[in-house]
Amino acid sequence: MKKTLLPWLAAGLFLAGCSGLPTAREMGDMALLRTLGVDPSPAGVAVTGSTGPRARGMKGEGEAALTLSADRASLSAACLAMQGQSDSYVFFGYVDQLLVGQALAEEGVRPVLDYFSRDGSLGLGAQMWLVRGASARDALSAGGEQGVDSRLETLQNDSEMGIANLTRTAGETYTDLLELGCAYVPALSPAGDGGVLLTEAGYGVLKGDTLSGFLEGEAARGLELLAGGPSSDVLDVNLPGGPVSVKVTSARTKSALNFRGNTPSALKLSCQIEARLSEYRQRPEGEALDRLRAELESRERERIEEALDRLQIWGTDCTGLGAGAGMSRPARWQAVREDWPEWFSRVPVEVTVQIKINS
Amino acid sequence: MSKQREGGVPHPRQEPRIPGPLSLARLEEVFSDCVDFKKREVYLHGDSGRKATVCYIDGQARSERLNDYVLRPLAQDPMLASAPESELFSLMERGALYAHGAKRETEPDPVVFALIDGSCALFLEGRDDCLVFPVATEEKRSVGEPENEPALKGARDSFVESLRTNTSLVRRRLRAPELKVREHIVGRQSLTPVDMLWIDGIADPDTVALLSERLEGIDIDGVEAAGSLEEYLVDAARSPFPMMPYTQRPDRFCQGLLEGRVGLLADGIPLGWILPGTIDQFFKTGQDRAYHWLVASALSLIRWLCCLLTLLVPGLYIALVTFHPEAIPPKLALSIVAAKQEVPFSTIFEVLIMLLSFEVIQEAGLRLPGPIGATVSILGGLVVGNAAVDAHIVSPAVLIAVAVAGVAGYTMPSQDFGNALRLWRFLLAILASAGGLIGLSLGCAGLIYHLAGLESFGVPYLAPFTTGTRVPRGHPSLFRLPLPRMKWRDGPVKTRNRRNQR
Repeated sequence: MKKTLLPWLAAGLFLAGCSGLPTAREMGDMALLRTLGVDPSPAGVAVTGSTGPRARGMKGEGEAALTLSADRASLSAACLAMQGQSDSYVFFGYVDQLLVGQALAEEGVRPVLDYFSRDGSLGLGAQMWLVRGASARDALSAGGEQGVDSRLETLQNDSEMGIANLTRTAGETYTDLLELGCAYVPALSPAGDGGVLLTEAGYGVLKGDTLSGFLEGEAARGLELLAGGPSSDVLDVNLPGGPVSVKVTSARTKSALNFRGNTPSALKLSCQIEARLSEYRQRPEGEALDRLRAELESRERERIEEALDRLQIWGTDCTGLGAGAGMSRPARWQAVREDWPEWFSRVPVEVTVQIKINS
Repeated sequence: MSKQREGGVPHPRQEPRIPGPLSLARLEEVFSDCVDFKKREVYLHGDSGRKATVCYIDGQARSERLNDYVLRPLAQDPMLASAPESELFSLMERGALYAHGAKRETEPDPVVFALIDGSCALFLEGRDDCLVFPVATEEKRSVGEPENEPALKGARDSFVESLRTNTSLVRRRLRAPELKVREHIVGRQSLTPVDMLWIDGIADPDTVALLSERLEGIDIDGVEAAGSLEEYLVDAARSPFPMMPYTQRPDRFCQGLLEGRVGLLADGIPLGWILPGTIDQFFKTGQDRAYHWLVASALSLIRWLCCLLTLLVPGLYIALVTFHPEAIPPKLALSIVAAKQEVPFSTIFEVLIMLLSFEVIQEAGLRLPGPIGATVSILGGLVVGNAAVDAHIVSPAVLIAVAVAGVAGYTMPSQDFGNALRLWRFLLAILASAGGLIGLSLGCAGLIYHLAGLESFGVPYLAPFTTGTRVPRGHPSLFRLPLPRMKWRDGPVKTRNRRNQR
């Protein structure tokens, strides 16, 4: 039996398409692209890629970043064109930062996300950023010879530590677009003389796959509270005993939908925030602490409301408040799910904020 | 092997080995051209009318015993001169000579084999039978420390080449009369005694019977090495994986007997086998029960992990670097890219050559005397390796991957099992070279398929993990529980008494 097993196995492998085994490629002649920027262009799409400052691996410390760019009718054609621009094999498997220019976001990001999801080496694990007020190519050149990779990596690490804007991967964004019909993406803009540094510029909100607008300042903080992952924020309050600084450490927002008949009558949001006293001249106790808490709750409520106002105008429930509320009432949620963006725009929202201050 | 036995024709055995009647002349004819065959004629108490002839093999018989227990009474005992000739043999057999044993023989075969074993044969004029007295020399290596299984906390004796010494080492530990010792003679020319040991009432009688049957079935010229027995006794000699775990340590051997396994000792081979062999036996050391259970468990887990490392690291490195670079963390990838840039060879070639070099250095180190072997290992491993990296002949990452795999392989308590892993390491590396992770996965599946198909004396090789639903399991194999909680013997061994403590 074993004599016949081998030919059967070989035939099985052949028929199963195993002749398409992966192709060997030596890493020594690879240029590892780390950042990819996409913009619209007259030809179709403009793609820019950067290897970061170590184009030749660790030994190339200090070596200028290798930047490649191509304008073609499609993303795949542009990527293929970039292959021919380098003396090394351009490998896209390490692209972990995706910059999307504002102009492309206004046209629609779905083709880019589609390409990332279909390409075997790219994948949807890359961090996605919107470049506000500039093109992705400009943003990529903002880092000069050193590239922008380390800056983007720092922002990503800061975000994980809670000291920078929320980050989103291309996969998370695409999932939200498919499930919620909208998504928020952190935005960056080149700053400084000649745009030498990329700075945080709030969040861009996508509806369908096109840009609806940007949330910044207090509204951006409100979006973070709704999304349940605030970047560490310090609030200063003037009390009779002197100024007090409070650092927000965590927030969690729960949503609930009230129905009248089969129609939503109110969206209730309950935001629970934890914070701790970071600076004070006189430790607030008793009445002063109550006053501090009330002041903080008022401010955070205003932030949330500011963010909600904008999101309701755009009809973009990009933090999934409706879907979260629908988990507890699935039958009713199913009835309104299709039209939820419209409902979200006109349903009254009640926001309650509770702050727990730890010393 | 079985086909050959069934046929019975290709290699017939002559029975009896020495045809014809027993006589002194026949014995001399058998041992003609044997310079070590000696005979001594003695007059009984100086009576020239009564002559006895004592035959022995010089070097096999101990001269002091021969002189004091046999020749002196023959020459000096007056009773032997006065007793009727017909009663002489009876008198000698019953105490006139001082040897601790005496046996009257009438056939040439037992006399010849007794002489070779160190006995002497006594012939009287006019008689064709003889008396055999054991006067064998006991020259042998003294019991030393087990070199391959050093004991940090425990007994320091080890098996030696003398079979009887080995059985006595076991008897001293297991004083129960239920410890049975059955002897088989293996080898047409070597006639090597091979002893089976088991504890009656604990060991599986079917395993005992099967082993006994297989020993009986071995028809070879001689047992000159451990492989002479192993390859004839196991079910699947084609597998590189060892099926018969062995030990140099009597304490570990006894532990195996207490677990319900059957022991095997062969004369001239200073180790004992414990059967049936399951895969977990090759990961256990003699120290496992001596250390604290947490420490022993951690070390056991490390050994299993090292088994995976030594098998998979070279193949995994080839697969990731050559076929799936996106699976490597970016900083490591940058490091590998930098290291690879000036290396002229492909990764596959680099890894396979380094694996081969590793084996060459290891083999050279083993074949040379200790201090020189160590020097070769240092020269080969450190100096040549470092020079190869500096000269950009191999990349440092490859050197590290191969060294990690090699060193991890040394944690295997069983050298045989480690050797099997070395072979499969090559195979997996080649498969990874052909198909990346797909090839490696297929190789791993093939390895599991191969292991799952092995059986040792009716017990699945992977028994600790694949006992099935009807066979009671033993204790976990990956780690060791506290001894008071290890109340059961392994179910797959089919022990007759599973409970081993209150």
